[in-house]
Amino acid sequence: MNEIGEFALMIALATSLYGCVTYVMAARGNRVDLYLSAEKIPFILAACVIVASAALLRGLLMDDFSLQYVWAYSNRDLDTFYKISSFWGGQKGSLLFWTLLLTCYTLVVHIQNRKRNAMVVPYAMVVLMTITTFFLVLLNFSTNPFEVIPVPPEDGRGLNPLLQNYWMVIHPPTLYLGYVGFTVPFAFAMAALICKNLDDSWIRLTRKWTLVSWFFLCMGNLFGAQWAYLELGWGGYWAWDPVENAAFMPLLVATAYLHSVMIQEKKDMMKVWNMSLVLLTFVMTIFGTFITRSGLIQSVHTFDEATLGYYFLAFLGVIIVICVGLILTRLPLLKSKNELDSFLSRESSFLFNNLLLLGIGFATFWGTIFPIISEAVRGVKITVGPPFYNQVNVPIGLALLALIGIGPIIAWRKATWSNLKKNFIKPVSAGLLAAGVLFPFLPLGNRSEIYSYITFVLCVFVMTTILIEFFKGTVARKNLHDEKLVEALGSLVWRSKSRYGGYIVHIGVVLIFAGIAGSQSYGAHTEKRMKIGESVVVKDFTFTYERLGFIEENATKTRAIAQVGVYKDGKRVWTGQPEKEFYKGQNQPVSEVDVLSTWQQDLYLILADFTEDEAATIKVYVNPMVSWIWMGGWVIAFGTMVSVWPDRLEKRRRLERMKIQSAVFSPAQE
Amino acid sequence: MVTKKIEFMQVQVPRASFAWKGFCNGMLVLLFVFLSILPASTAHSSALLADLENALMCTCDDKCGKVLGNCTCDSSDKIRMGFAAQLESGLTVQQIIKEQVAKYGETVLSSPTKTGFNITAWATPFVALVVGGLGIRKIVQTWAGKKQGVETSGDEKSAGEPTVPTKYSSKLQDELDKLDS
Repeated sequence: MNEIGEFALMIALATSLYGCVTYVMAARGNRVDLYLSAEKIPFILAACVIVASAALLRGLLMDDFSLQYVWAYSNRDLDTFYKISSFWGGQKGSLLFWTLLLTCYTLVVHIQNRKRNAMVVPYAMVVLMTITTFFLVLLNFSTNPFEVIPVPPEDGRGLNPLLQNYWMVIHPPTLYLGYVGFTVPFAFAMAALICKNLDDSWIRLTRKWTLVSWFFLCMGNLFGAQWAYLELGWGGYWAWDPVENAAFMPLLVATAYLHSVMIQEKKDMMKVWNMSLVLLTFVMTIFGTFITRSGLIQSVHTFDEATLGYYFLAFLGVIIVICVGLILTRLPLLKSKNELDSFLSRESSFLFNNLLLLGIGFATFWGTIFPIISEAVRGVKITVGPPFYNQVNVPIGLALLALIGIGPIIAWRKATWSNLKKNFIKPVSAGLLAAGVLFPFLPLGNRSEIYSYITFVLCVFVMTTILIEFFKGTVARKNLHDEKLVEALGSLVWRSKSRYGGYIVHIGVVLIFAGIAGSQSYGAHTEKRMKIGESVVVKDFTFTYERLGFIEENATKTRAIAQVGVYKDGKRVWTGQPEKEFYKGQNQPVSEVDVLSTWQQDLYLILADFTEDEAATIKVYVNPMVSWIWMGGWVIAFGTMVSVWPDRLEKRRRLERMKIQSAVFSPAQE
Repeated sequence: MVTKKIEFMQVQVPRASFAWKGFCNGMLVLLFVFLSILPASTAHSSALLADLENALMCTCDDKCGKVLGNCTCDSSDKIRMGFAAQLESGLTVQQIIKEQVAKYGETVLSSPTKTGFNITAWATPFVALVVGGLGIRKIVQTWAGKKQGVETSGDEKSAGEPTVPTKYSSKLQDELDKLDS
């Protein structure tokens, strides 16, 4: 089976090379025979990579330690669940997984566009095939997952214990679905540039791909944060690690693109800008891969065998040169009218939204690469850690939060002062009221607390603007169509899914901001070495260390479990059981935290250490509002689902709207 | 015959006075200055160790690359205990940081210092943001100016056409706003 996998990868490489040539020749020469030949390529390519993936998965599930990859990332005692996740746990497997997703996406693109968009699609397929070829070259010649150990060992080394967490099973695939997903809009943008078909058809073709990829990237980041929170055992969820940054940057650029593209759709403006953003998003995904696989920047996430840096750097360089070259040569064709009615308009607010998103993206990029710059300039490698990102990004983030509230209530084209006054009076009043109400209750002793206070006030302001939008729309619909309130709300959202889906996403973002503010400033933690029966008090809770137990789970894993009773006002509210897990052959034991999560706060327990006399060091964190962050993630998921939900009547409604608009805006007839 | 162009030309947008704009800008600058000079945390004794944990990287043998406050390896606990003892002995946070830098070099700091070349680390994002902001402002003004120019010439052409009184055009503007939002 391993030989079949290896052979399948070789066939896949040959097929993708053939695909590149065929699609180019078919498109340039307009040859029907080559089109027909190319028709089968995405199927063969996907089939080959699926076979190779199945072969590797079989090796993992069947404990085939003759495969070096299986030996390095699995062992006999590993749960089946984690054996599957070992597939993407190491560098070679993760590259195969990336290729698998890419070929499947390519196949979907091919099926979606079989009988349409004949001008752009062949070039998009060329781009997709070229990227696939790059990955297949790596898999065949540099990081072959089917490398064999001549004398197979009895057992494997096992998966890194830190990766043995259910969030780690979900987080990488989700992130990869987003990363790889952005290849599709990139391919169509490149195709539009190549074939000079630069109207907004490529945007319409890739709208859902962009949204879905954005969604996966967003959820991937959140799942990663959740993994860090539950598995790394330091009480936090985001450490501004270079690899976290690498996943965060494309999300920011893609968010900027999702907003600015609306201006192009509405006003046929900013073609160069949108093209640049979509290309930059893809460049950032490859930059992230470069960071993870180069070993150039130290990170907890980098792969053990981080040796692929130069390949990705070269690939990145080629992509950037081609993108810049294409944009420059097509500049005259990308010219648009670029007219705005007023500085005070939603268009302007979108431009500033782009500025802030890219500002955070740039600050993150700058912080990530600054150690390299410093080493090159001064010969001193310095560290750029959380304090830098918090000081630079938080003020920009707050301005962005404010814009989330301002944007939807500024009119398109031109806002008048009276219109602004009317739309802003309620949200601003709500914000000011919140500022007044919160002032006596929230401490304002340091920068973090002041930022959190401002965040809460802005959250109230933004939520008010969004709720007013929903309320106004619902009431108008209720009156117009004589519907019940809930029915009116439902049909309002259903009939304008992308708009109200977007608002729901904004609600999710507000929840995330509030959660971050609450957890960063008002938490408390302590660490205490305790004997059985001793207690520690944190905030309103008393934590009593009750006993220590041991479980020998299997030949490679032993668990030490502490039992901690948690009391509030003398009443037992929870029994926490933080663990320390010891893996055979691993130097460091792994902490398994125990968390009681409520909407108000998380009670977070870590068993840091213990001795033979059963005394244990317990770390206790009371982290307020962390669950708001995860809740925000699910709200974003729901909002995105609403936005992309297929609707066969949508096209008809859009045409109707356009008709109405053109009737309103065209010179009125007598 | 009524045209949209004429209506928009007649909507008088009151401009905020220069003094008011200056006041707003001044307040914003003051807010940023105020926030940046505030201490990162209060100097309570319990917070001093947290300050150290945030300011320094973990120096364990594994080279985990984490900020001490985020690190969970065994060595990090010993390092923390060492710092707690140093603080109790009367050393200040700055003295301990200085000592650590002398021992491990600048890389032990969790963020660049605000001196020399490292200033570029802190300043560049904000400079980029300000330049970007000014650029957008200029672009938007140019684009808005272009539109105004088009409207003015359109207005000249249709000089003979009847105009709509301001109160009606304001009303129409409101209706259009509603349609937009």
